[in-house]
Amino acid sequence: MTATVAPAGPSAWPTAVGQRRRKVPLGRWSLALVAVAAAAVWAFPVYWMVTSSLLPNARLRAGTPTFFPVNGTLLNYERVVAGSSFLSALRMSLAITLLTVLLVLIFAFLAALAISRFRFRGRKAFVVAILFIQMLPAEGLFIAQYKLLAGMSLLNTVVGPTIIYTACVVPFTIWMLRGFVAGVPAELEEAAMVDGLSRSQAFWRITLPLLAPGLVASGVYAFLQAWNEFTVALIALPAESAKTLPLWLRSFLSASANQGVDWGQVMAASALIALPVIVFFLFVQNRMTGGLVSGAVKG
Amino acid sequence: MNKNRLVGVGVASTITLALALSACSGDTPEATDDGSPEGAEITLWLAGGDTPDELREYLKTTFEAENPGSTLTIEQQEWGDLVTSLTTALPDAENTPDVVEVGNTQSPTFTTVGAFLDISDMYDELGGDKLLPSFVEVGAAEGKNYALPYYFGSRYMFYRADLWSAAGLTVPTTLAEFGDSVAKLKTDTQSGLAMGGQDWRNGISWVFANGGELAVEDGGEWTSTLSDPKTIAGLEQWQAVYQNASNVPSTERDVAYWDFLNDGTDATPPAAATIMAPGWARWSIGDLVTNDEGEEVRDGMVDATKFDIFALPGVDGGVAPVFAGGSNIAISAQSQQPELAKNLLRIIFSEEYQTMLGENGLGPANSDYTSALGDDKFAQTMIETAQASKLTPAAPGWAALEGQFVYEELFQKIADGGDVAALAAEYDEKITPILNTGS
Amino acid sequence: MTRTETTGTRVPAPRPSSVATAPRRKTNPLPYFLILPSVVALLVALAYPVGWQVLTSMREYGLAQQFGQPATFVGLANYVEIFTSDDLWAVVARSVVFCLVNAIVTLVLGILLALLLKAVPTWARVVLQVALLLAWAMPLVAAVTVWKWMFDFRTGVVNWLLVRMGFEQFAGHGWLATPLSFFLVATIIIVWMSVPFVALSVYAALTQVSGDVLEAASLDGASRVQSFWLIVLPTIRPVVSVVFLLQIIWDLRVFAQIKLLQDSGAPVGETNLLGTFIYQLGVGSQDFGGAAAVSLFVLALTIVLTWPYVRNLLKEDEA
Repeated sequence: MTATVAPAGPSAWPTAVGQRRRKVPLGRWSLALVAVAAAAVWAFPVYWMVTSSLLPNARLRAGTPTFFPVNGTLLNYERVVAGSSFLSALRMSLAITLLTVLLVLIFAFLAALAISRFRFRGRKAFVVAILFIQMLPAEGLFIAQYKLLAGMSLLNTVVGPTIIYTACVVPFTIWMLRGFVAGVPAELEEAAMVDGLSRSQAFWRITLPLLAPGLVASGVYAFLQAWNEFTVALIALPAESAKTLPLWLRSFLSASANQGVDWGQVMAASALIALPVIVFFLFVQNRMTGGLVSGAVKG
Repeated sequence: MNKNRLVGVGVASTITLALALSACSGDTPEATDDGSPEGAEITLWLAGGDTPDELREYLKTTFEAENPGSTLTIEQQEWGDLVTSLTTALPDAENTPDVVEVGNTQSPTFTTVGAFLDISDMYDELGGDKLLPSFVEVGAAEGKNYALPYYFGSRYMFYRADLWSAAGLTVPTTLAEFGDSVAKLKTDTQSGLAMGGQDWRNGISWVFANGGELAVEDGGEWTSTLSDPKTIAGLEQWQAVYQNASNVPSTERDVAYWDFLNDGTDATPPAAATIMAPGWARWSIGDLVTNDEGEEVRDGMVDATKFDIFALPGVDGGVAPVFAGGSNIAISAQSQQPELAKNLLRIIFSEEYQTMLGENGLGPANSDYTSALGDDKFAQTMIETAQASKLTPAAPGWAALEGQFVYEELFQKIADGGDVAALAAEYDEKITPILNTGS
Repeated sequence: MTRTETTGTRVPAPRPSSVATAPRRKTNPLPYFLILPSVVALLVALAYPVGWQVLTSMREYGLAQQFGQPATFVGLANYVEIFTSDDLWAVVARSVVFCLVNAIVTLVLGILLALLLKAVPTWARVVLQVALLLAWAMPLVAAVTVWKWMFDFRTGVVNWLLVRMGFEQFAGHGWLATPLSFFLVATIIIVWMSVPFVALSVYAALTQVSGDVLEAASLDGASRVQSFWLIVLPTIRPVVSVVFLLQIIWDLRVFAQIKLLQDSGAPVGETNLLGTFIYQLGVGSQDFGGAAAVSLFVLALTIVLTWPYVRNLLKEDEA
């Protein structure tokens, strides 16, 4: 059996879309060019962030854009990392984010299974409720969130923001995963069971691997939400020792009575915040697209 | 037993507190029984990075030396988030910071809702009449002092001396002359005076200089006075300056104007001949030089024939009143350690600390120590403009007004050439109710 | 389908025996256990704030009340006040249009990029995927700042390029100055930020499409176009539906991007969307009662707007 489903594999239909639009067949190379052009558009601001982080503020604000940081310097990085606050913020952010991702994936996966593979009383209410919960704007909630966390003595703790993040991300993740669970044809499991696998074996060996991309996509989403969240962190973590990275970034953004904003430092700090996310992405990217999917189909 | 002892201490401290209150004289902090302040920890919230590390260190060590067994924690909050953080944390007795820095124009809002402790009894001890009056005023309500000045800054004009003299212009002595000069310096690519249309904090100098007011109080009621003839005259004068001298879009505000004064890369001419900015802008202006760390920085206006400063002149000469930046400091009404918090204020208003503020370029609250700012032209101009400076009205709804960007909207419309009298009437009606919210 | 006949016919969980013994209408507790953790998390974190929100929307609640004054119950006065102000309806109209444009543009671009990812050789796919991930990983503040620089009236790359290309009138052009071009810039930023999520999610769904089925279909004589409509689309449809719905929900309450753009100079009153409107009412004007009322109104509005779509989803779900 040739498992052409692996993402790298040449699959038939997308070129067909191209053909349908224009009579001339689009070669894979011209599509590749389009992909590279799109990549350039999406990566340019990121490139600009990195370039700017390597320039001294005086040069950065000179007027004409500097496209290549020829005389680049790492001073901005040295400055923002100086002092203990970066490390403590990094630790805090990692703890909150990883805990959130873990809880979200477990909770949401279980709930997604429940709503996509079972019919039970209250199911519809649950599905509708988690959808509507996400529609409430968060901008008016901060006083109540503070009172909630202060009342539970959870200010300046990892647990405080984690609870709120988990609750805010779980509804979305359930919906997302539900789509993925629905995308796994139940027939596949049944076929595997005909082949002699038990129901649980069929689940672990067929369904779960097919869900992996969905889990990764949801996990990435949860990671980013918790990693970049700011408003809840602001009110839940007033102590300097408990600040997360977005709050740490804020401290470089505040122009005030005796200093202007040093944009080079802001960009260096931003790049440092993005770095762990990129590492995390590369890490899960491997799991996401590798042998798992094709393996599942090979059964 | 343990519990009983706690109750005992509680009763004892209540009694001492009652005694202290009835005695009504701010006598020694040792009046509290040895139980409560010992080993206590107080928290100070500073806004932004304005207070240098050296000063923070001084506060901590001095406080801990003078109050054995107690510790001081300093937490930095950011200006953009300060109102949010204060709104949630200050009412919470268990988590409130004990002493907080707050923006001068934010003071009235928190003062009028009772967020701060009445420190009228300390007013004279901390400096009294020597404290910057406009700042004291915004921190007071119904004759009581709640927030006192922490430091001030002020704004003045930075200009390209080379461009001004090339055009045959000298430092103006009246506001009208200033307007004419910057208009002459405007070209398609260069603003005579770079100023965004929404920059009302700069723009109100023209109102103040013409003797106008934004709002006045009568019997606790605030009224917006944009339609006052003097205010209208100021707004119209500002409108002319913006239209004749600035290339900056009318929607811009708080732009990093100091960048406009520098030469561009490849020695292209600057984007503006004059700007209005706070004193520290100096360090973002000048020629590019390489510092000891090998980094390119601005030299801080070393070449006085190229970069120079002057105070915005008044209508009939002298100095125009400008908006004074800066902040106040107050004790949370919910503080569990008000005596220790007061001790901290005593350190902040001491001669040593006030001098340190001045040496770091921050205008000291107490006028006895302004000489610590130095005697170069920057310090002189800062003191000169600060003495003439004015603050925005101490109305309870002021923070709400700023939060709704009402003046930004008004000034943008004026900059776009709107009819000042009609706009003034329209916005008076809009602003007056907001000024009185929360009172 | 036969699924509705009994509860838990198709039990994927490793407890087949319990299912075998419960073939009839007896309530299977398993799904309740499965949703329990989520329900508990939601109750702990949201019950109090949402309850507070509802209560506060019917109280006079400003800074004075936050600092201990008793909050008086005012019934629906806060609602009456916001509904009778012209501000709100202008903001609502603006937000709805902005939300639909952004959600649709994001979805279309996202799906096209996902298809592209599937179609191109590995190296090109990796390049595009990495670029999307980088954009996605960029902190919001940095992203908006960089975009702001690019559109800066004086030093921005956009004006610089346009002038180079001969459009002299763009020298010193202020992109944020009029509401329309403000929202154009905001749309570019938001689409740029949201597309990676859509593209990668849809792409993840595409990887679920069985190659064998496609192969079999083509052996059976189905054209590629037919394969797309009959096999691919049905598979990715659940994910696309959800992603689109979520884009609508998010774009309707978009806040941070608009706020950051407004902070750098824009006609604030004319560029407010629902998110910034609530913020301005709450944090800005300390009218927390009014902010709560608008929040609940936004909730209701979103439900109404998405209701046909949600009902469809639910119906599909029942089938």
